[in-house]
Amino acid sequence: MAELHIIGQILGARGFPQNSVFCKWGIHAGGAWRLLSGSREGQTQIDAPQAGEMAYWSHPIDLHYTTKGLQGWPKLHLQVLHQDSFGRCQLYGYGYCHIPSSAGHHRLQCVTWCPEGSWQEQLTQSFVGGGPQLRSPDLIYSGADRYRLQTVAMGMVELELTVILRHFDRHGVEC
Amino acid sequence: MASTSDIRDKLRRKHRALRASLERRRDDTQEVTGGEEEEVAETLRRSLRTQRQRRRKKLLEKMNADESWVEEEVAGAVVEEDGTVQVFHRDERSDDAAELGAVASPSGRPPRELPPLPTPKENTMERRMREKLKAARSKAESLLLQEEPASRLQALRERDTRTRFDREAGVEPRPRRDDASPPLAGRATLRDAVRRVGMDAQTETGLPTAEESYNFFTFNFDPEPEEKHHPRQHKKREQDKGEEPGEDEEERQQDEEEEEEEERGDEGGEDLFLIEQSDKDFVEVKRAEYVGYYERVQRERELFFVPSTRTVPASRKLPENMQPRFLEDEGLYVGERPVVSRTNENIMENRILRQDQDKKWFGDDGRVIVLPDPIKESPTRPPLFHMEGELDPALQTVYRKAVRAKNTSRYITGAGDAQGDFQLDVDVSGLIFSHHPLFSREHVLGARLAQLYDQYLSKQQKNLTGLLTDKLNGLRNTIRNMLELHAGQGLSQATQHRIAEYTQEIRYTRQMRDASQEKDRILMKSIVKVWKELKALREFQRFTNTPYKLYLRREEVDRDFDEQQHKAEIQAEVAELQAEAEEHYEKMMSDYRRMHEEWKRWRRKQKALKTKKKKRRQTSLEEDEEEESEEELGEEPPRPEQPQEPDPEAVEQQVREKAARIRRKPGEAVLVPELTASCSVTPSDQCPRAEFARRQDVSKRSLFIKVLYNGKVVSRTDSRSLSADFRVHFGQIFNLKIVNWPESIELQVFETVGTSTTQMADVFIPIPEASILTGRAPSEEVEFSSDQRVMFNHEGVGSGVPFSFESDGSNRLTLLTSGKVSCCVSWAVGEDNVPLAPPIAHPTGAIHSGIRQMDAIACIGASGVNDMKKLRKWAADSRLDPNDPNNASVMQLLSMVSGGEENVPDYFRLEQLQEEFNFVPDEELDKSRRFRLLRLRSQEVGEFRNYKNVPALEREVSDKVFQEYEKRLREREIVDTKDHLDAHRALVAKYLQKVRESVINRFLIAKHHFLLSDLVVEEEVPTIGGPGTGVLGLNLFKLAEPKRPLKPRRKERKKVSAQNLSDGDIKLLLNVIRAYDLPVRKPQSSKPPATSKPGRSFTEPFPAAQSSHSTIQGSDWPMNQVLIRPFVEVTFQRTVLQTSTAEGPNPCWNEELLLSFTAPNGDYSTSSLQSVKDEVFINVFDEVVHDVSKGERDWNGFHACVEKHWLGSVKIPFSTIYLQSRIDGTFKVEMPPVLLGYSKERGLVSEGGYDAIRSLSEGAFITLFITIEPQLVPGETIREKMKDVKFESQEDERLLLASQFFERDAAQHFPARPCLTTVIDINGKSVFVTRYIRPLNPPQELLDLAPNASQEATELVARYVALIPSLPDTVSFAGVCDLWSTCDQFLTLLAGDEEEHAVLLCNYFLAMGKKAWLIIGTAIPEGHSAYVLTYEQNRYVIWNPSSGQYYGQYDTFCPLQAVGCLINADNVWFNLQMYDAPARMSFDVSKSKFWKPFFSRAFSHPGLSSVQPEELVYQRTDKAAAAELQDRIEKILREKIMEWRPRHPTRWNRYCTSTLRHFLPKLERSGGHDVAEEHRLELQSLLGDYRISGFPLHMPFSEIRPIIEAVYSTGVHNVEASNVEFALAAYVHPYPNNVLSVWIYLASLIRTR
Repeated sequence: MAELHIIGQILGARGFPQNSVFCKWGIHAGGAWRLLSGSREGQTQIDAPQAGEMAYWSHPIDLHYTTKGLQGWPKLHLQVLHQDSFGRCQLYGYGYCHIPSSAGHHRLQCVTWCPEGSWQEQLTQSFVGGGPQLRSPDLIYSGADRYRLQTVAMGMVELELTVILRHFDRHGVEC
Repeated sequence: MASTSDIRDKLRRKHRALRASLERRRDDTQEVTGGEEEEVAETLRRSLRTQRQRRRKKLLEKMNADESWVEEEVAGAVVEEDGTVQVFHRDERSDDAAELGAVASPSGRPPRELPPLPTPKENTMERRMREKLKAARSKAESLLLQEEPASRLQALRERDTRTRFDREAGVEPRPRRDDASPPLAGRATLRDAVRRVGMDAQTETGLPTAEESYNFFTFNFDPEPEEKHHPRQHKKREQDKGEEPGEDEEERQQDEEEEEEEERGDEGGEDLFLIEQSDKDFVEVKRAEYVGYYERVQRERELFFVPSTRTVPASRKLPENMQPRFLEDEGLYVGERPVVSRTNENIMENRILRQDQDKKWFGDDGRVIVLPDPIKESPTRPPLFHMEGELDPALQTVYRKAVRAKNTSRYITGAGDAQGDFQLDVDVSGLIFSHHPLFSREHVLGARLAQLYDQYLSKQQKNLTGLLTDKLNGLRNTIRNMLELHAGQGLSQATQHRIAEYTQEIRYTRQMRDASQEKDRILMKSIVKVWKELKALREFQRFTNTPYKLYLRREEVDRDFDEQQHKAEIQAEVAELQAEAEEHYEKMMSDYRRMHEEWKRWRRKQKALKTKKKKRRQTSLEEDEEEESEEELGEEPPRPEQPQEPDPEAVEQQVREKAARIRRKPGEAVLVPELTASCSVTPSDQCPRAEFARRQDVSKRSLFIKVLYNGKVVSRTDSRSLSADFRVHFGQIFNLKIVNWPESIELQVFETVGTSTTQMADVFIPIPEASILTGRAPSEEVEFSSDQRVMFNHEGVGSGVPFSFESDGSNRLTLLTSGKVSCCVSWAVGEDNVPLAPPIAHPTGAIHSGIRQMDAIACIGASGVNDMKKLRKWAADSRLDPNDPNNASVMQLLSMVSGGEENVPDYFRLEQLQEEFNFVPDEELDKSRRFRLLRLRSQEVGEFRNYKNVPALEREVSDKVFQEYEKRLREREIVDTKDHLDAHRALVAKYLQKVRESVINRFLIAKHHFLLSDLVVEEEVPTIGGPGTGVLGLNLFKLAEPKRPLKPRRKERKKVSAQNLSDGDIKLLLNVIRAYDLPVRKPQSSKPPATSKPGRSFTEPFPAAQSSHSTIQGSDWPMNQVLIRPFVEVTFQRTVLQTSTAEGPNPCWNEELLLSFTAPNGDYSTSSLQSVKDEVFINVFDEVVHDVSKGERDWNGFHACVEKHWLGSVKIPFSTIYLQSRIDGTFKVEMPPVLLGYSKERGLVSEGGYDAIRSLSEGAFITLFITIEPQLVPGETIREKMKDVKFESQEDERLLLASQFFERDAAQHFPARPCLTTVIDINGKSVFVTRYIRPLNPPQELLDLAPNASQEATELVARYVALIPSLPDTVSFAGVCDLWSTCDQFLTLLAGDEEEHAVLLCNYFLAMGKKAWLIIGTAIPEGHSAYVLTYEQNRYVIWNPSSGQYYGQYDTFCPLQAVGCLINADNVWFNLQMYDAPARMSFDVSKSKFWKPFFSRAFSHPGLSSVQPEELVYQRTDKAAAAELQDRIEKILREKIMEWRPRHPTRWNRYCTSTLRHFLPKLERSGGHDVAEEHRLELQSLLGDYRISGFPLHMPFSEIRPIIEAVYSTGVHNVEASNVEFALAAYVHPYPNNVLSVWIYLASLIRTR
């Protein structure tokens, strides 16, 4: 009957090749977890910063979970996409991070990566945009053989999360 | 020297104390634990000793090795320092020991640090060493004594550091000790350890090994701390390197000294242990140490070196006399230096310069030598070539083009992002007509033949008969076997049971078989018959049209075998039937016997009784009859009839008959029909003319098929001509790339004759499941038919027209065009074999799906898995026959899914160990009320949508919270008639609820669509000037305005968005200005009860009352006196406020009332405010003051009784106020048609212009101004938001575009005028508005009532429409939008808003032959509304559909304020005139200057069909139900009134009630007009003695609640006079289709005598 509140925001992103990016996010939790309220996925607006490198979204995250076990502690997965001047969207990076398990305020930085295509694809990408994407996006957090993927490091997504835990101590979990 | 000796002394003392305390401790512990402790202490001591011995040994060795002069020095200065070290060391150890004492005592464990190794050998060693030591020491001491000054001098001479050493030690011994000792101590132990290595080997010899000695000279004994402490020394050393060995030596000496010191302490050790000393010597109390900041800085300055950040001059970095060289300038390659900040570089250089060999770090250019920047420009990574081929499919990437995210997951829910396209392949292969108008008679027969043959074939294929026969035989065999097996023996219970079961099965199977055999035979017969007919027809008409030819193949059979089989079969059947009959007979017999027994018993009793009676009669005649009747037995049971013995003969006969009927005779050949198309068709030139014409016609026709996807035409096939056999082959495949979720796929069959094209039929094709893919999908035949009537004058039989085969025209037959389309719809397969189908389990609830397919379970989520178990169970229960071809698919599925028993595959669980680690079971989570509440709230379930503050603790959530919700869930299906009084209304309420839910779900998407203004609320920037927006400029002008203008205007206030409001923030501001034409009191026509009363009955507070009172009393008062004292009472959300009392029929209050408003659940969001259902009741009362009856008056004061009499009311829903933001105008007061005691008097006082206007209209009016404080931003309805989110629509794209353009254009020019071209129907689709207008018949009953007078009929119809309860859409579909239902839906629902009323009324008027339009405009109080306009006798009349009232065009009190557009069935006109008030405009739509038509010459009316039904069907209303309802209403109201008067008795005047009840139907008949006078007179005559005040209320019936509400608001029950009596009558008049008109007559009577 332990409860977990995650309140915070996806602050923004930096370090991507282009600044006008947006982000699709989702939270994946194990079977023991139940969402009481809040939406577990969403999409931010597109921020095209005119000054500075960082694109700010300040997208709120507010989730209330209850759990009957510790397995499958929630993970946040992100997809950063870029919208170019033609209004076309292309993938810029995948990333995921664990929701911190200690109570309090956390500032997280989630690094992202992007699959690298063959040289033909790279060539295409540099001229007409687009890019390789994962066939099954759940690989973002369940990477079994992910090392075999040719990837490029992309930017970083900054998050500010506050975690409130409740009744975990009742079940012998010290957080 | 003195100091050193002092210190030594001190040390010794301390040492001693330590030992003593240790000893004491030991004693202490000994007391507790006894001998064991002693042992521990002993070992401890021993080990201590051994350790010391070891050191001593080493010392000895050293002494051996070195010269004795060393010792001289040792005894000198160095000792001091080492002494301190030693003390610390000892301290530590003693601490250890103390700890040991404390800790180890319970367990008695030997301490780990001090391994006990006391060996006898060592003891001897020790002794020897001690001797040696003694000798050495004496020697040293003597030396010291003798040569000290000399050695000292020598030392001084040798190195000057010595002095500093001394001084330092002398000056501040304490801090030093603290600072330096720990590392030193650590070092000491380290050294010990090192030395111990070679110890064992040395012990014997006492000589160092080679290694030891090597170590001794080469080992570097941690010079660093020394360096730190003596930076100056370092410098010196740098300068003079030759001194180093000396330094080392000194080090060594120190070490030795240390050892010795230890030894010295040990010397007195043995005896010191015995001395007892107190704790205080052991523990020393120290002050908390603090070093002042300044001091610390000073000290640190000495210790630390801080390199400066200043640039180092190049000269210092380079060897002398060198110029810096710049290699790069000389043309040499120099790599790029990594970026280091200048400051850091300076610091580094400065630091290096302090070091020795400083120059080597610098290059020729005077900068620090660095490697070039190691970071590569581009990332590199070795490619994994060997793995290239076998990359995990999960890891594969797919190249996606950058696309505009236009459609992603907007239409297809759950489609996820960029899933790519979905494609449906629609394969239209062909068309076969089973009937076509151009069929000739022969074709009809041919088609029938073909059909029968098809049936035959399919039957043949299934071979049901054979199967059943086999089964039957199998069953028979089984029974036989069983019986044989158990021959003779008694059958067990189970076996018997099984046999019985089998018999049952046999019976059933036999019946089935017989049926199927019969069918086969009939089919066969009919095939033959049709074929014969066909042949006859061909012969008759002498030509052949169809190629059908039937061959009957005879298959000879083995006669004998056949006969035998036949016989056997019959015998078996007979036997079975006999057995059955036998059984039946048995049962019957037993029944009979039982019955018979009963009957006999009865008879016997009867007989006995009779005899008894006889006897009795004989004995005593005066026997009472009671007994006799007691004795009488029950009725005579019928004498059972004996069942008939089964007749085997008859049974056999029966069987044989049946066999003859349904089976072929034994030996008869088996007939196998074969239909071929081999017959030659007679060429056209040999046919008669009629046939020729038909054939010509056929060849002229061609067909094509349009493919419609979601109601929109997507594509069409080529048109193919109709062939003579009425088959069309298209063979075209349409690939539909779709973005919308498929809802319908439709094929429209069109036929072209020449140039004209007609639609023949619609064929709806089911949407394939996602698993049906192209290539695997079977082609399906979908039947279609059309009810078109076609007739020809040639041989074609037509369609929908009767024709006959017989020459005499008998036996007529009507066939409709029908046929089959063979087509196939499937999901396409992409290039890489990826199905282009949407995901199977598309979630229903969620709308936006960012990254959905992530949940593993959801991914697996196979749809049918859960049902599989049930399916199995069902299959087992119903004992499906596995051999039956009908069950083949089921059986296959079952066998595929379940390998064995109960092996239905479950999920593969990812979290297998979850169970073990669970905190709590699932049930507990489910049980938690708090979690449930939270979840329900987040799901936005109605009851909890805005539930605030969910308690933090479980126990604070009570079960009560859910009661309502659970009740609703339970009662969703149950119709509750209690609340609604009427089953139909209840059903409607339920239905409405359902519709609302579904509509709300549908519009959720729209709700999530935000406009910029929803998110960004920006204050307007003040600007100067500008059209309308120049706030600053206008304000400047305002400065010059007069402070109190003569005609003040209401100013626009700042709008507040409704987000951050809380309870009490919102107030409803209501300004009651004045009223006109209120009815006035009528003097009691009966004699005034007490004319003497005036003067004394009225009290001071009401000075004005006197006159009014006298008005009542004195009928002789002139008419222009005050006849009424009206006041206004406003009721809103249980707050009641009232104005002061004014006088006269045209009172002026001009009062402002402030009502507070609370939103439901404290939710002030726009959608919530829109759905507030509360209404503002504005009631006008007359204040009547009269005195209390005489008896109750006492002399202390006068008692007056204030009564308020209801005159009328105005109801304004809050939602209207909210949406309009202010309501300003004059409203008609709804008054009852009859007000007892009041009469409408025209004010004699002339009021100028008003009078003329008022005379045009009847009734009283009240001027009001209502607004909300602060002004709220009214939420836009969704429709406004949806302008760019297109609704699904079945309309033509072009029409939609045009309507969009039309509306936008209208909004641009006249933003305030509503313009409506498309509306949303109840299914959420947008429909063009003219489709709603169509003449519809009003109920015939109404027309019958007023057959001649057209005017009367019109009014009646309007009244009927007004009687349908009104329910604003904004309330019922909160936050959604206006939904238009069609008239039949409206009449079924019996609830709708103004639009529905208006549409219905308009349609009725059209049907009555009037010219009628729908007006879309603005009205008070409804806001945007719809009215009806008719043109009658050269003038326009405006009808208010929800009240049934009508107004002339120039009527000032017409509630319609502005006209936006006019609509009729053909067109929509938008008002282009300057004014939009009806009185100031022209309604002539033909003038294009005034009215802009939607369909013009440029864009003509495309002939839109109506959405309305062709005619309305009315059901007659049940009069009995109405009467029942009437009784119930009356009863409920009576109870309510008594309930509202808890402190007074409520008496009912029955006589008056019955009189009133008598009036009501009259009122209904007259429509509430013109009966007041006679009515009153009648009443008055009846009830002369009473003062009556009362009135009838009239309203449409929807629910009981509004009725109660209305009665309550009149306040009749508030009469407090003690002698008051009440009368209440209700009347329900039923109109067709359950429209009910409810009349409530309420009166209060006060006896005046």
